[in-house]
Amino acid sequence: MTSQSFADTEFVVRTIAQTAVDNEKYFGDLDSVVGDGDFGFSLARGFEIVLNDWDGYDRSDIGTFLQKIAVVITSRIGGTSGPIWGTAFLRAATVAKGRDELTGEDVVTMLRKATEGIMARGNAELGDKTLLDAIAPMTDTIEERLAAGDASDAVVAAATSAARTAADATITMQARRGRASYTGERSIGSVDPGAIAVAVILERLQSTWADRPKTT
Amino acid sequence: MKKFVNDPLQFVPEMLTGIALANPDTLEYVPDYNLIKRADSPRDDKVSIIQGSGSGHEPAHVMVVGPGMLDAACPGDVFAAPPMDYVYETTKLLASPKGVLLLVNNYTGDRMAFDMAQEMSLADGVKVKTLFIDDDVAVQDSTYTVGRRGVAGNFFVMKAVGAAAEAGADLDEVVRIGEKVNSVTRTMGLALTACTPPAKGSPLFELGDDEIEIGVGIHGEPGRRRAKIMPANDLVDVLLDPVVSDLPFESGDRVALMINGLGGTPISELYLVYGIAHEKLAAKGITVGRSYVGEYCTSLDMAGASLTLVKLDDEIEGLLAAPAEIGLRIF
Repeated sequence: MTSQSFADTEFVVRTIAQTAVDNEKYFGDLDSVVGDGDFGFSLARGFEIVLNDWDGYDRSDIGTFLQKIAVVITSRIGGTSGPIWGTAFLRAATVAKGRDELTGEDVVTMLRKATEGIMARGNAELGDKTLLDAIAPMTDTIEERLAAGDASDAVVAAATSAARTAADATITMQARRGRASYTGERSIGSVDPGAIAVAVILERLQSTWADRPKTT
Repeated sequence: MKKFVNDPLQFVPEMLTGIALANPDTLEYVPDYNLIKRADSPRDDKVSIIQGSGSGHEPAHVMVVGPGMLDAACPGDVFAAPPMDYVYETTKLLASPKGVLLLVNNYTGDRMAFDMAQEMSLADGVKVKTLFIDDDVAVQDSTYTVGRRGVAGNFFVMKAVGAAAEAGADLDEVVRIGEKVNSVTRTMGLALTACTPPAKGSPLFELGDDEIEIGVGIHGEPGRRRAKIMPANDLVDVLLDPVVSDLPFESGDRVALMINGLGGTPISELYLVYGIAHEKLAAKGITVGRSYVGEYCTSLDMAGASLTLVKLDDEIEGLLAAPAEIGLRIF
């Protein structure tokens, strides 16, 4: 029987994919402010493949499942999104390798590993105006709320609020990575599309978390 | 948006189908990986040259596959780097005993996709090297970015390594030539209008009737600054001065001069720009040895132009002059 951890993992991945597909135009419009407008299209085309092949992924354990998703994302999504999002999934998968149960601490470790992967792949640091600037504070908040003993819905709500605040705050940053960086100071005044995507995904998660599939 | 388009998702595959149907004797289209290759590649006696990047830059790169040029082009969607899988499969398909050279315009997504594909191909035993092209002088502060972009100057690197590979040079020699040409090539571009990607359906940025974007790349991304439109003489200064001062190009130098249209500028205006630039160079004591006017690396339907200079020596000039052939009809 599928564990609740596995069901939750599937729910999170599916929510990420569906949000990317549903927000193709919005993410593309954000990217065209100082980028080249392909972010929404690339992400949607790739996660469409994830959704279309959904039932066929090896579900031997949570790590294997995430790794299969990572390979699809890395190999099939173009632009910068494939390598970056794929690497994040791959690093998270290594933590969950061979596991059917995940603790809150494991989730934090997976997010930290994913963050390190994105930094390595994109040669990026915090403050460069990328999706990292939403993921890192979100992870800090999850760690704090777990330590405080919050229930999962409260943790998700706090993480969502942290991601949104951090994503909106990218508006004052100057881009140092990706195509927006070529515009120099002109990148100040618009949000980072990757960071906003993280916030939008979390908002979808929060609004659907209570109704997610339960195994018992 | 008024374009010849069915489903934006099929824009690139339908373009590639057209290229293959128009060149049935010389080119092959492999739909699974968006790949356009020479029908007679790979060959055991030559290094295979592969160039990839997003689509929307035509004729770069899918329309410059041919003898003395590319063995294959591996495009992604419009303005998006190709998925890693496409690059990896293309590299394996074009693997030659003499090796494979991947030519990549320096953009973040392209770097990542090609780096990963090279790593995987090497693990498979394919002899492969990658060369990044970064000729754009508009990008500053490279400490904080991935570095200068690869724009229209990529044509000269591609032409030179294509000629060297056709003549039988080994992989290290082809790489040496590519790096040398890249190191003496500089480009600057400006846009008179924004372009409209089929998937977006509207211009990528708003530009007033009397405004121009200075220092644009080849993906429709905005440039470094905006200015009011000015007479062509002054527009040429905007392009030429930063290029000349960057290498720098000096009195007594012999150069190749390219005026590249970005997709929406009439050829008449490109020649007008060429004439002005040629004369301004002459006034600086710089001689134009080879001239290129037309569309080489575009941004869909963007009006505007880029100016590229290459400092020539006998070796580079010989490689640029070597015969080459692409899928265009010669009457």
